Order: sequence, then structure tokens, then C-alpha cells
Amino acid sequence: MDLKTKRKIKGNIALLLSTFAAFMGLFWLVFIIFDVLRHGITALNLELFLEDPAPPGVPGGGLRNAFVGQFLITSVATIIGVPLGILGGTFIAEYARGTVFAKVISILSDIMVSVPSIVVGTFIYALLVKPFGHFSGWAGAAALAFIMVPVVLRTTEDMLKLVPWTLREAAFALGASYFRVIKDVVYRAAATGILTGVILAIARIAGETAPLLFTSFNNSYFTTNMNEPIASLTVTIFNYAMGPYEDWHEKAWAAAFIITVVILIVTVTSRMIIHWRYKS
Amino acid sequence: MEDNIKIKVKNFSFYYAKSDKPALKNINMPVYEKKVTALIGPSGCGKTTLLRSFNRMHDLYYGNRYEGEIIMDGKNILSDDIDLIELRSKVGMVFQKPTPFPMSIFDNVAYGLKLRGIKNKSELEARVEKALKQAALWDEVKDRLKDSASGLSGGQQQRLVIARALAVEPEVLLFDEPTSALDPISTGKIEELVVGLKETVTIIIVTHNMQQAARVSDYTAFMYLGELIEFDKTDIIFTSPKKKLTEDYVSGRFG
Amino acid sequence: MKKFLRLPAADLIFAVISFSASFTILTLIFSTILVLYNESSLAIHKFGLLNFIFTVDWDPVKEVFGAAASLYGTLITTVLALSIAVPVSIGIAIFLTEISPHFLKTPIGIAIEMLAAIPSIIYGMWGLFTLAPIMAEYIEPALQSVFGDIPVVGKLFEGTPMGVDLLTASIILSIMITPFIASISRDSFNLTPDIVKESAYALGATKWEVIKDIVIPYSKLGVYGGIVLALGRALGETMAVAFVLGNKHQITPSLLDAAATITVTLANEFTEADTDIYLSSLFYLALILFILSFTILAVAKFFLLRAEKHYQR
Repeated sequence: MDLKTKRKIKGNIALLLSTFAAFMGLFWLVFIIFDVLRHGITALNLELFLEDPAPPGVPGGGLRNAFVGQFLITSVATIIGVPLGILGGTFIAEYARGTVFAKVISILSDIMVSVPSIVVGTFIYALLVKPFGHFSGWAGAAALAFIMVPVVLRTTEDMLKLVPWTLREAAFALGASYFRVIKDVVYRAAATGILTGVILAIARIAGETAPLLFTSFNNSYFTTNMNEPIASLTVTIFNYAMGPYEDWHEKAWAAAFIITVVILIVTVTSRMIIHWRYKS
Repeated sequence: MEDNIKIKVKNFSFYYAKSDKPALKNINMPVYEKKVTALIGPSGCGKTTLLRSFNRMHDLYYGNRYEGEIIMDGKNILSDDIDLIELRSKVGMVFQKPTPFPMSIFDNVAYGLKLRGIKNKSELEARVEKALKQAALWDEVKDRLKDSASGLSGGQQQRLVIARALAVEPEVLLFDEPTSALDPISTGKIEELVVGLKETVTIIIVTHNMQQAARVSDYTAFMYLGELIEFDKTDIIFTSPKKKLTEDYVSGRFG
Repeated sequence: MKKFLRLPAADLIFAVISFSASFTILTLIFSTILVLYNESSLAIHKFGLLNFIFTVDWDPVKEVFGAAASLYGTLITTVLALSIAVPVSIGIAIFLTEISPHFLKTPIGIAIEMLAAIPSIIYGMWGLFTLAPIMAEYIEPALQSVFGDIPVVGKLFEGTPMGVDLLTASIILSIMITPFIASISRDSFNLTPDIVKESAYALGATKWEVIKDIVIPYSKLGVYGGIVLALGRALGETMAVAFVLGNKHQITPSLLDAAATITVTLANEFTEADTDIYLSSLFYLALILFILSFTILAVAKFFLLRAEKHYQR
């Protein structure tokens, strides 16, 4: 076999392996999603949303408290985290553009985006749980907000930087102050991107479990009082899946199914919007 | 004495993928052996498209179509049974921007040789030295062959790329606007190189700089909107062209 | 500073507000370190640093705590996950940039994004209910019969295959981090200029030779950044591993044994800690994890920044 043929064969094998790797990646995705669907759909029923949990070991009941709790915690976290993130991102992309401070904040935020979320939970525990002697929805929301701020800050910064400088110059030339320029021109231009970034951040924290484990903890009863421990879908999934009851496992799958479907739809749609808006 | 024809372009048309309109229309043209042939014309005339057909670069992108023939040494290089690796051993290419590989100077020049299975250290060193001397770069790099190629200046990198192409001893060398990214002094050095190389290699050079074409080439092909308007000895094209369009272009009335 | 004082009132207020918002990042980081250190001080004083890191015992009753077992589990799962994920991810990136027909690029790209978006608890559940049984019934026994008798390697596969062990946890972790390495590598590969690749083809290189000799070396920095980033994330993963690791504080050579990672220890024991020293030791673990992952993520960022600068030339 001459060298050329050997080269071609070696190359083809390598390329084949790469193709195999790609389809393996696809395979895992399909497998996991299919499994979640398969298990989750059978356990889906209206009671899941309308009723609160039955006593342990007793079949029936639902996860209303978990849905409501998840919604409350996520909303509060969003109200705290999003404005901080957007304002912070605005500062480093506008007023402080090009400064060392901006660079440092940007790099540190990027790092914080990937920091272990369970450590965030321990931090908030020390700050908002231990001194008060009890878990609370507020603590859970604070933990999620902690995670949200760097995420929203970075996407806001990226989206603002995509707005061409000449747009700002045109507004300055009309005599507007920087604040007006940002408010009326830059934000408007970057709105789609920033909004999508916020939605992606919400999707991200909606799926978090670890930071809630010792902040909002869990509650088998329905409550809207954020001063108490409050149920969340994710922690409920954790507890139910690790629990001994078959009924619990089913409910965990149902909840997993809902979370997965919602997050996937939101993520894919958001990324497609960004791709369509900014890359064509 | 009649110059030998190295390549004959016969009724050659070219279509880019997904396009019904030909980018090159029915080109007929000789390329003379061991001479420099320049392809000139305004932007979009197809000169680079034609150049990239000689080593079938277009094959890299799905959907491109050739029509007609390009005959080199008796064989139509556009036919399906041509081995592209062998074709590209015979026909080398230098691009508009210097394209050093992420390796040392030595490894860059030796790359084509290593691909062909040449492993013997002394043979590699001898051929690398020969190629670098042909590219007039040897003296400047002989003491730092192991350094990364990215440390060289733009002009040096382009000569490195030329040495890299020369190392595999091609019969034809294609230059695609090789000096457009370089300063005047480096440009001069490359032009000198091109003129000197024609003793060993047949050269086809695309350039948008007419003075460059007049300086280095023996034959010139003037192209416009995908067609070959006129082909002749360089002196004739620039002093007494036969077509009005050619005359307008070389006297600077457009393009 | 002077520039800011010349601004009109609305600007000044907005600038100050947004400045404070951006300053939050610094506040968060410093207060985390401070608070964690404060909470761990009891354990730090009792056990010291090196001693804590190398003690295997984790005994709430005797009040002796050591990080060794947790660190070991964290290390093994992360390293194993990376060894699986890196070749697969690079393969995916190669496929997407050089092999895939155009119409497949977007769907597969979306599939990768979806893998990255799936919450880790879903991975954990799937691991517990689907993967672990498959591992216990088919894969692990198979591995045992193939490798079990080989002298050194055999130790890796000792014990009863229960599916809840280091191996399963590492596999799930590798699936989780694959999208990160794959998409960063793909983006890095795409940055190789076309004419550099064409130069290699013009010398007669085959497609694989162009990938191997030109594209991959050219994109080195970005790929390293992606790998180190994945490492940082793998270190901090909790839910994906919590279900299938077993949380046993032990250092065992066998991959088929239960183990513990810092994250899983925290998840399982934090609310159970009934003594001050117990809780303090857990905080100590959290502090170590925070500093460790922060450092690794900083290294990743360093690579990615160098890659950015390199490509802007």
C-alpha cells in the first residue's frame, strides 16, 4: 500500500471517529430527553398542579406547593438579580468602557458564572439562615439572585458592546447626555439581546437545586410566606427521587419532565432569536 | 524560437455552487512553460477564479462545477480520475496574505515534504535549505530555523510561504496577488524572486497592479466580467493592445 | 473622577447607581471568602490546613473530620469525566466544522445547546433510574470480566457492581461537560482563516492532515480554555453526581465503589450537621472548593483571553 493510500485511509478513519462522536453526543441527548418524556408523561395529571402533597407513603396528591414556591423564589430572585445585572453590565460597557475596572469586573463575573452553586448555598446559609434560626424563601431567592447577577451582567455587557459606537456618537452630536443616550438609543438597540439574556438567566436559575438545599429548604405544605421554608420543584425532585416510595418517584419524573420541557423550549427559542437577530 | 505550452485552457467555463450564471465564460488560453503569465483585470473579472482552477482549489467547496478542459502535460486536470494530491504536488500556490502554519520556520518549509513521507533528517535539511535559498530567505533565517514562523515580518513570511511551496519542487507556481498585503520594499523583493524563479518553474500570477504585471510578466491575459478579452505578450498588451477594452483598462480609464 | 463630576445630575446619579451595581461582583466574591473563612475558623484551628487535606477520617461521632476522601472523589470523578469528554467533544467539534454537511450544522448545534441547558438534577435523576441499573446489569459486569484478572488494572473494577459508584458518576459528569468543550472548541476551530487551510490543501494535504496539523494547533489556546472551563464546572457539580455516588467517605482504588465528593458531602450532610465542629468542617470543605474552582476558572479565563488576542492579529 503506497503512502498516499495510507494517508487517505488514516484520515478517513479519524474522520469517521469524529462523526461517531458527534452522533454519540446526539444519542445521549435523545436518550435522556426521551427517557424524561417517557417517565414523565405517564405521571402527568391535573392533580399535580392543583393539589398539595399527600402524607408520605399515601399515594395521590400533587405538587402545587412546589410550583407556587418555585415561582415565588424565582420571581423574587429575578427582581433582585436582573436590575443589578443590567445596571452593572451597563456601567462597564458604557461609562467605564476600556478601563481596568471594567476588564476586572468582566473577568470576575465570567468566573462567578461557573462557580459551584452549592457553595453559594452555604454562603447564604451563613448570612441569612443561621442568624435567623430558620430556612426561608427569602434566603433561597437571595441564593438564586447571587447566581443571576454575574450571568445577566455579562450578557448585558456583550449585547451593549454589539451596538455600534457610531450610534452613540450620533446621539451625542444632537446634544444628549450619556444617560439619555443609553436610555433612549443604546438600550433600545440592544433590547432584544438583553431581554433574551435575562430569559436565559431565568431559565438557568429555575433549574438550580443545590443553592436551595439549605436556604429555602423544603416544605410539604402549601405556603406563600417567604419567611418560612418553602417548597421548590427542584428540591422536591431531589427528595422524592431519593425517597423510598414509587409514587414519589413518579411525581419526581413528572416534575422533571415539566422543568426540562419548559427550560429547553425557552433556551432553544432564545438562542434562535439571538442567532437570527445578531448573526445574519 | 516558439515557447513551449505547459498548460492549455480549452473552452473552460466555471460555475460557483448554486449559480446558473457562469463565473468564467469559455476561456481559451495557453500558459507557456517557464514563463511568467499575468492575469489582470478589474475586481470581479474572474482572474482569481481562473487561477484557483489550475490546482482545483474550488473542489474544496461543495457544488462548484467546471466545464471544458485544462490540459497539462497531455492530461485534462479537470477530469474525475485525477489524483488531487498529485496535482497539487505539481502545481503550488501562494496566497494574498502570508499564511505561515503554526509551527517553526523549518517545519513550515518541510511540511509538504513530510506529507510525502520524507523522513530522512539530512534530506529534509538539504531540501529546506535549497528552498529557502531559492526564496531568498536563507540568510535571514538560517540561524533560527527552530523559531516560530509567526515571529517573522510580513515580507519574510511571504517568502517563507514561497519556500514552502518550492520545497516540493512543483512545475507550476500560482501567485494570487502575493504582494497586496506587503510594503513596497518587500513587494520589490518578491517581484525579483518571481522573475528569477521562472528559470525553474512556470508561473501564473494574478495582480490588480498593472505596473507589477508589466514589470514581471512575459505574457499577460486581460479579463473582464468572466471572459478572456485579450491574451498576448506583455509588451503588446501594454503598448499596443488590439482591443479597445484592453486599451481602456491599461491606460487607467476604469478599474 | 473629574470626568464624572462634570456630568449633569441625571447622569451622575445613573453612573453612581450602575457603578454600585457593578461593584456588587466584587462584594459578592470578597464576602463569600470572608464568610466562608469565618464559618470554617473553628475547623481550621482544630485541624489546620495540610492535616485537614490529608485526613481520610470523616467521623461526626468522634468529631474528627478530614477532606481527603471528598477531595479524592472530586479528583477522580473530574479526571475520569474529562478523559471521556475531551476526545468526544473534540470529535464533535471536528465533525461540526469540517465534516458536517451544511444543513446538519444548525440542528446539531442546537442539540449541543440543549444538552448544556438541561438542569443537572435531571441528569442526576436519569443517572439514578436509567443509567445506574444499566451499568450494574450490563456494563460493569462486562468490564469486570474483561479487566478483572489483569494485575493492576483489575483493581479498578473490584467489588460488587451496584451502579452507584465513581464510574457511573464520572460518565454522567462527562456527558454534562461535553457541550462546553464541544462548543468552545468548535468556535475556536472556526476561527482558523480559510486561506491558511487552503495553503495546506494546496500542498496536497488531506482533510484530516489539515485538521490535525493546522486547525488544531492554530486553535490550541481556545481548546485549552474550554477544557479547563469544563474542569472548573465539573469540580462544582452537585446534583448530577449526588444521586449516583453513594456518599461514602472512603478512598478506594475501585471505580465500582461508592465514594464522596465535596459537593455531594455538602448536599447530603449540611442540614444534618448537629455540632459546631461538624458544621464548621463542612464550611471548611466549601471554602476549599470555592478557592479551588475559582482558581481553575481563572486559569481557563486566562487561556480564553490569550486565544482572543491571538486571533485578533
